Amino acid sequence: MVRLITHNLLACHAKGCTSNNFPLQFKDIQVELREAEFNSDFLRGFLPRIEWAALVDASRQLGDTSLPAEQPEMLDDDFLQKLHHVLLEIHVEEGAMICPNCHHVYPISNGIPNMLLAEHEIG
Amino acid sequence: MGEFYLFAFAQAHEEFRIPELQSIAELHNFTIKFQSEVNVHRPFMILELESEEHARTLARRCILVKAVCEFYARGLSYEELHEQNRARLPKWGCYIPDTSFRFMVTAYNHSIPQARQRAVVEDFSYMGFLGKIDMKNPEVTMICYEEYRDKRGMTREKHEGDGEFEEAFFGRLIEEGSARSLIRKFDVKKRVYYGNTSMEAEISLLMANQTLASPGKLIYDPFIGTGSMAYTTAHFGAMVFGSDIDGRQMRGKANQPGIIRAAAQYGVAGRIVDLCTFDVTRNPWRCGELFDAIITDPPYGVRAGAKRLGRKPRPGKPADDLRSPETIMKNRPDDQPYIPPTKPYELSSLASDLVQLARYMLKPQGRLVFFLPTVTDEYEELDIQTMLCEGMEVVANSLQNFGSWGRRLITIRKATSERFPPPSFEVSSGELEASSLHVPAHKDFREKYFQGFKNSNFEQPVQDNH
Repeated sequence: MVRLITHNLLACHAKGCTSNNFPLQFKDIQVELREAEFNSDFLRGFLPRIEWAALVDASRQLGDTSLPAEQPEMLDDDFLQKLHHVLLEIHVEEGAMICPNCHHVYPISNGIPNMLLAEHEIG
Repeated sequence: MGEFYLFAFAQAHEEFRIPELQSIAELHNFTIKFQSEVNVHRPFMILELESEEHARTLARRCILVKAVCEFYARGLSYEELHEQNRARLPKWGCYIPDTSFRFMVTAYNHSIPQARQRAVVEDFSYMGFLGKIDMKNPEVTMICYEEYRDKRGMTREKHEGDGEFEEAFFGRLIEEGSARSLIRKFDVKKRVYYGNTSMEAEISLLMANQTLASPGKLIYDPFIGTGSMAYTTAHFGAMVFGSDIDGRQMRGKANQPGIIRAAAQYGVAGRIVDLCTFDVTRNPWRCGELFDAIITDPPYGVRAGAKRLGRKPRPGKPADDLRSPETIMKNRPDDQPYIPPTKPYELSSLASDLVQLARYMLKPQGRLVFFLPTVTDEYEELDIQTMLCEGMEVVANSLQNFGSWGRRLITIRKATSERFPPPSFEVSSGELEASSLHVPAHKDFREKYFQGFKNSNFEQPVQDNH
């Protein structure tokens, strides 16, 4: 954890930071790979929510180049396996996520990202 | 036209029985026909189902079901019961020629002396079963239940009032409820990680059933705490996200987060998608309609008060006491991580915020399942109605009664596919007006709790000027 499925859902939410606040950029990270159970219904159900370009970028940044740049129309088993690996099996354990816009640093420790905002960052 | 099945329930959580049956039926796409005079406080129910398979499904998943039988007869007396049972010969006639069998006689709220158990069994001899009696592995088990009035709190002789039952039921056992054993599996005391606000196993399981948890679903707990409901929802196959304003609750003391350690104990660590530290009223979710269900036990202030980011208003201090990053850095020891200030989160605004959040974050038809504590004597149906918003409807509302207070397990469905904006988490003037029209019993629950629910017309403590 942080898995890329989570990374694909989190945007910077500091006060006034409303554009170019996604995806967060990984920094100084430690990655672990852990096998997860495959469930094609889960993947199919989640696919419409994915920001594809952000997922591809993040996976490439973490050294996985298996996903095509364009989201394929055909959801064959081979593709779903690759998607499964990228979304659920790559865990960022340590490091930080940084907002590309306001540069807020969200630290990750023991796999848990701290998304709390400071007092001056809330509306 | 379906068949009739006799359901025997565990002696607990009466108001949760029907919602649980209905949830599991909905999850498996079948319907249950209830009889018109259902009394949820009685431990037996006759339900009409399309197939025995549906009865088995309910017995395997419903936490409160002890046994499911093919229903043959009932009666206020044995004469009545036997008369009805004789007429059901077409139902049990097939077991006469060559089926091994056993008879069981048991009671609810009572124990029947063995001599009379034998006598009751003998009275069924007209059924004329020719197969061999097998007490260990019979092909069919016939069960006769006697239901006695609950003698709550009364001391009495063991067999006192034997035979003076309210009603007796008879049927063929189809399946014993196997989900009840999960209560032991998820026992908090045997869990490797828990806290003082962890939810007991049975309720966590009931809540998970209310979410319709199953493989392929994504479920979110925005006040995950020590993760009690994450384990049970994950057990039923769902993937679970958790967040909490207090990361320490999720982590515990070891390096590996406590929730992950406990999930691993149950073999579901892989289904905990991620845990994040944030205040749900200042959440980083990029978009809505992500989850199939939201399950949570919001902190209501008795053992842990709800908090949100911000600073408590303090009289005498300038309102613009917002600290700049520079002041924060200056006043903070170098080795300590920055911890933003928090303020209390009043329960009734938390509850209506939660419903609005669920409307934004749930997929259409998704469910919000949460506990709402309330003052028993002051509770009104309207309390729940005031926290609803357009598109959200109540599916179930079950009371767990603790005397002067209780908590209600509320299940709400997102009954719209319309998209709604994320909630602002600010009290709008419109809401203020609405809430001044009706003050729900759960408002200021914490204060009421610590005052022992003494005055029914709760007033804010007033400063004494004498």
